Amino acid sequence: MKTLPDWLNPEPWLNREFTAADVQRAIYADAPNEKTLAALLSPTAGEFLELMAQRAQSITRRHFGRTISLYTPLYLSNFCNGGCRYCGLAADRRAQRTALSQEQLRHEMDAIQKMHFEELILLTGERVPEADVPYLCDCVAVAAEYIANVTIEVFPMAEAEYRQLADAGCTGVTIYQETYDPVVYEQMHRWGAKRDYLGRIDAPDRALRGGLRTAGIGALLGLADPRFDILCLYRHAKHLLKTYWQAGVSISFPRIRPQLGGFQPEHPVDERMLAQIIFALRICLPEVPLVLSTREPQRVRDGLAGVGISKMSVASKTTVGGYSTDSEESTEQFEISDDRDIPTFCAMLRAKGLEPVFKNWDSAYRGAAHYEKA
Amino acid sequence: MRLTVNGETHIHEGNGSVDALLDELGANKAHTALMVNGDVVPSGKWAETQLKENDSVEMLVFVGGG
Amino acid sequence: MKNDLLKIGDQELGSRLFLGTGKFSSTAAMIEAVKASGTELVTVALRRFNRAQAEDDLYGPLSELKTVRLMPNTSGAMNAKEAIRAALLGRELSKSPFVKLEIHPNPHHLLPDPIETYEAAIELVKQDFLVLPYIPADPVLAKRLEDIGCAAVMPLGAAIGTGKGLATAEMIKIIVRDADIPVVVDAGLRAPSEAAAALEMGCSAVLVNSAIAAAEQPAAMGAAFKAGVEAGRAAYLAGLMPTSETAVASSPLTSFLSGSD
Repeated sequence: MKTLPDWLNPEPWLNREFTAADVQRAIYADAPNEKTLAALLSPTAGEFLELMAQRAQSITRRHFGRTISLYTPLYLSNFCNGGCRYCGLAADRRAQRTALSQEQLRHEMDAIQKMHFEELILLTGERVPEADVPYLCDCVAVAAEYIANVTIEVFPMAEAEYRQLADAGCTGVTIYQETYDPVVYEQMHRWGAKRDYLGRIDAPDRALRGGLRTAGIGALLGLADPRFDILCLYRHAKHLLKTYWQAGVSISFPRIRPQLGGFQPEHPVDERMLAQIIFALRICLPEVPLVLSTREPQRVRDGLAGVGISKMSVASKTTVGGYSTDSEESTEQFEISDDRDIPTFCAMLRAKGLEPVFKNWDSAYRGAAHYEKA
Repeated sequence: MRLTVNGETHIHEGNGSVDALLDELGANKAHTALMVNGDVVPSGKWAETQLKENDSVEMLVFVGGG
Repeated sequence: MKNDLLKIGDQELGSRLFLGTGKFSSTAAMIEAVKASGTELVTVALRRFNRAQAEDDLYGPLSELKTVRLMPNTSGAMNAKEAIRAALLGRELSKSPFVKLEIHPNPHHLLPDPIETYEAAIELVKQDFLVLPYIPADPVLAKRLEDIGCAAVMPLGAAIGTGKGLATAEMIKIIVRDADIPVVVDAGLRAPSEAAAALEMGCSAVLVNSAIAAAEQPAAMGAAFKAGVEAGRAAYLAGLMPTSETAVASSPLTSFLSGSD
C-alpha cells in the first residue's frame, strides 16, 4: 500500500476550522502560504467568494495583464491499455480506437496552424505499442515544424525518454496526479503501469530534469476530498517552483461532472467549489498560470476568464485528430461543454476587456531542431 | 637569503625554514597565516618548509572587517 | 529563542545578528560591541602583518569569547582566484568552516562582482567551505548560488556604509520566497528597525557593521540591534496582519455562479 510522501502531506491544515477573520486575513495575505490556502479553501471562505474573486482578478491583472493565453489539445491516439475507472477510454470500455499516421498528423497541423494556435498539447493514453516514445518523438518533430510550443500530456516516462522528446522539439509536459490520496488512487487505477502512484508524482521532476521547460499539474476534481487534493497540489507546485526555478509551472482544473450512466465521483465538486479553488490558488500562487479547458460550460468559463484563470483552450476536439476535414471517426475522451469557435470565444473575451493571446514570444529564439534546418 | 616578504625585500638570516622566518620577524605564530609563492602553507608544515632564494612570502593576520 | 536556532549547513547559531568587526575605534570597543550584541558569528578580514605598525591584535581577544565563531571574509580580493586564496588562508588561521565570499572590484561603491563570486563559490564549495556569498539582491543569482551548494546567500540591503537601509527590499522578498537556504541581509543597514524589517520579511539573519561601529555608543547600539533582530524574528513567527488592499468592485464577479452544478 503506497502512502502519501511526507513532503506532500497537508496536515496540520487539512481539517482546521477557520473563522471569518482568518479568511479575511487570508484573502489579503502579503506572503501567502499553506495556512492561507487552507483558510481560503475552508467552508467559511465559501461565504466570501465575491471578495476572493475581486482579489483574484486584481492579482491576475497584475501578473498576466488583461490577457488570456489560448491553446488547443490534439489527441494523437486513443489506444489505451489502462484501467482508470473514471475514463470512457479505459481498456475494457468499448471505443473506436485509432492513432494518427504522420500524414494524418500533417493534415491536422495544417488545420491547427490556420486557426492561428501557437501552443498545442499532444495527448495519448497509457503507453502502448501504437503510441510509444518513438511515435511521440516523430509527432512532436512534425508538430514543431508548424507551431512554436508543442507540449505533451501522455503517460509518465523515464528522464532519458523526456530528454528525447525535448530534443525532438517538445517544450513541456502536462500530467495530472488525478488524486494525491493513495487509497483512492489505488481504487481508481485498476491495473497496469498507471498504478505506480509514486512514479506519477515524480514524473514532472523527471520531465524538467530531462530538459522540458514547463510542467502542468492538476488533480481530477471529484475523485477524493478536493481540499486534500488541492493542498497537496499546492505543495507539489511549490516543490517544482523551488527546485526547477528556471521552469514554468501551471495548474489545471479538470473536474468530473456526474453523468447519467457514467462514473459517479465520490466527492463531486460544484461550480462554487471550483470557483473557490481557483480563486484560492490564484491568491496563493500569484504568478502561476491557471488553466481552464472546454470541459467546463460557457457560463463558467466566461465568469472565470481573467478572474484567476489566465489560460484557456478553445475550439477543442477530444476525438483523435478532429481538426482537419478528413479526420477519422473515434470516441471522444470527454464531452466538450464549450464548443464555441475561436471568433465567438475571442469576441466574448474582448467584451470582458480581455485580449486573447496565441503566441508565446520567447519561443522565437529557442534552439529547437526545426530552426536549425537550412 | 634574499626574500620578498609582504611585498618588500627582506634578507633572512636564519636557517631558511618558514618557522625561522616568522621568529625573525616577531610574528605571533598562532595568529598568522602564510603563503609562499602564492600557495597557502599550513602551520603544521612550517618547520619543514624550506624557503629558497627570491621566494615571495605573504604573512597575513586577521583585522577588523565587515 | 531556544527552539529557533539558525542552521547554516551543519552549524547551528543562537543569534540572528552577525557582526562585522571593521571600522571600530579600537579592538576594545569592538569587543564590547560584540558582547553587547549577543552575536555568535563575526566577520574578520585578512591583511598583511606589519610589525612596524602597532596593530591591535584582534584574534586574541575574539578567541576568548567562547560563544563567538569567526567568519573570515575575502574582502580585498578582486577576482575569484584571489578570493579562493583568501578563503584558504582564512580557514587555515581560524579553522572555521564559514567564509564570507566578497569580491568588490570597485573601491568606491564596493558593490559585489556577481561573476567572480559565482566562479569562486563553485571552487570553495568543492573545498568543503560553508560559503556565504555577498551578492547584489538578484533573485536569479541567488538561486544559481544555491544550486551550486552555497550554505546561505547574503544579498545587500544597500551599498556598504551608505546606511540606506533596505533599498533592495522588494528583491529581497523574492529571494526569500524562492530560497531553500538561509537569506542573510548584509550591508546598508543603519538602524535596528531596518534589521527588524529584514527579519519580518522572512530573512534568516542580518549582518551589521558600520551602523554599530560608527554609532555614538557602539556597545549600546549593538544591544539595540540585538533587540531589533529578536523583535523582527518574533513578529515573523507570530504572523503579521496583512497590509490592507481595498477591492474596488464595480459589478459583482460571482453572479455567474449558479447555486449548484
